[in-house]
Amino acid sequence: MDGTLTMDHSRMDMRDAFFSTLFDRARNDANILVVSNDFGAPSLDRFRAELPGQFINAGISEQNMVSLAAGLTMGGKTVVVYSIATFVTLRSCEQIKIDLCAMRLPVTILGVGTGYAYNADGPTHNAMEDMAVMRAMAHMTVLSPSDAEVAKVCAERLPLAKGGPVYLRCDRGTWPALGEAETLVEKGLVPRRAGTDLALVATGGMVHRALDVASRLESEGLSTCVIDLARVKPIPMDLMALLASVAAVATMEEHTTHGGLGGAVAEFMADHNLVKPLRRLAIDDDHLYAYGARPTLHVQRGLDAEGATTTLRSWINDRRKSTP
Amino acid sequence: MTRSDVSAPHSLPRVANHLRNQVLELCYRHGGHASTAFSCVEILVALYHGGILRVDPSAPEDLDRDRFLLSKGHGETILYAVLADLGFFPEDWLWTHYRSGDHRLGGHVDHQTPGIETTSGALGHGLGLACGLTLAARMDGQARRHVVLMGDAECSEGSVWEAALFAAQWGLGRLTAIVDRNHIGSLDHTRNYLALEPFAAKWEAFGWEVVPVDGHDLTALDKALSPRGEAEGKPRLVLAETVKGKGCRMMENDPIWHVRPVTDDVIAQCREDLTWTGP
Repeated sequence: MDGTLTMDHSRMDMRDAFFSTLFDRARNDANILVVSNDFGAPSLDRFRAELPGQFINAGISEQNMVSLAAGLTMGGKTVVVYSIATFVTLRSCEQIKIDLCAMRLPVTILGVGTGYAYNADGPTHNAMEDMAVMRAMAHMTVLSPSDAEVAKVCAERLPLAKGGPVYLRCDRGTWPALGEAETLVEKGLVPRRAGTDLALVATGGMVHRALDVASRLESEGLSTCVIDLARVKPIPMDLMALLASVAAVATMEEHTTHGGLGGAVAEFMADHNLVKPLRRLAIDDDHLYAYGARPTLHVQRGLDAEGATTTLRSWINDRRKSTP
Repeated sequence: MTRSDVSAPHSLPRVANHLRNQVLELCYRHGGHASTAFSCVEILVALYHGGILRVDPSAPEDLDRDRFLLSKGHGETILYAVLADLGFFPEDWLWTHYRSGDHRLGGHVDHQTPGIETTSGALGHGLGLACGLTLAARMDGQARRHVVLMGDAECSEGSVWEAALFAAQWGLGRLTAIVDRNHIGSLDHTRNYLALEPFAAKWEAFGWEVVPVDGHDLTALDKALSPRGEAEGKPRLVLAETVKGKGCRMMENDPIWHVRPVTDDVIAQCREDLTWTGP
């Protein structure tokens, strides 16, 4: 591997898998609606063309888009609110808190383009805070598919939670199918490989990078398991046994260090008296004006396979040296 | 659906006076925004006691009911008083559960209270919510109406105008928005910080039918709020000219009363002002 995220273009983008499955359902269920802020997708074109009454372009008005979705849901509709991840989560933050969470409405918030997915488009488009903000919302479920099959299962099972909204954060690009998609959606996590020295926890597209890193560490004699933690909130209790069986824990995410996956895992470990070394690989506050291709940005932030492997190898070795 | 025995047109002013007194006593005992409630008393009496809204206290979740959304959620006391008076919940809740006891009635309205559709208090949400409800009803061929009450200062929120654009674009004719035009926000007269005029012209330019009305005239409100019979078309904006603090002379048109509590030193004067003098 060369430090770039491995994408298999023969497979479908998560968003496209979601929408194509949703289209199949919506053809037979007029209550399924997609609300967008003037944002489309090739996989939505057919939906818009053949089911025009079920696609609502709310215009570039994210606050109203979410209130509108709440009202439609109160009126008995099954609604997906769709936009670029950072716009749909941050621009309409209070509407999500009050109209969706406080009223416990099962709206699906579909955000695409997590982390540096928009490459050089800068701080306005890249989403580094979405997990932290959505995780803080009462009754919110946060789901992060790791491949298109998982996104497809999410569309099949809409609405994914009955007692509140679900934030479905989809990475851009295509990814090799990892299998067990239904289990991942049902249980919230799937161990992707076994190991005892280190548990590497990742979510979304970054799971594929974690597998690459684990493979490299394994070849150097570090037994590393990888946990695909799709459900970042609420964290599945099954995580406890998995983390209890390893010597150390690391998290990998394309998100700010504050309040994302690493924060969630740290809180989980503290709350359940899992006292063991934890290292969080994430993005620091210096991310805002980082322009460039995503693989380059990953290298700069140590989230490429080689950089992450080096960091974790050094961390483990340093700990071993300092531990009598 | 049902109207209480006191809802005959000639008795509506007396109902309004009774409810205004209840708001005063609630605010005196437990706090709340008395002046903002006073400006919309007649609007709510026209809607509920006047029979504009088809709602039934014995079936508050009836799918066919009209929907009323109090977007200015800090006017909770008058809505609580109205709903208790009509029997949506026991009247003693007003005295035992508003900001007291186990707090079934919060300091802003929430959707868990019988008869209340949406949680409010953060401003600028109601119109968008109502757009969604109205559109869902239209998709399902349901004839219910949707009425939103906003404050005029609330219309500084950009989300109000996002929703206004949407409602006009989609021709949501079964949507009526009322603006309680009392000319005062939390701190000051609206003209002194974000002037809204020409207010009616703004709504008209956004594609709404604007119906100006004296917001304390129950007969005029009944006419302005009555269904028109057409299913679709323009959404309607009832621009209700009101007096913030209406009924208590010291509160009327004085911004400080948005937040000032009703205390021992003023309660006697307020009660005297609200003493019923009609037939």
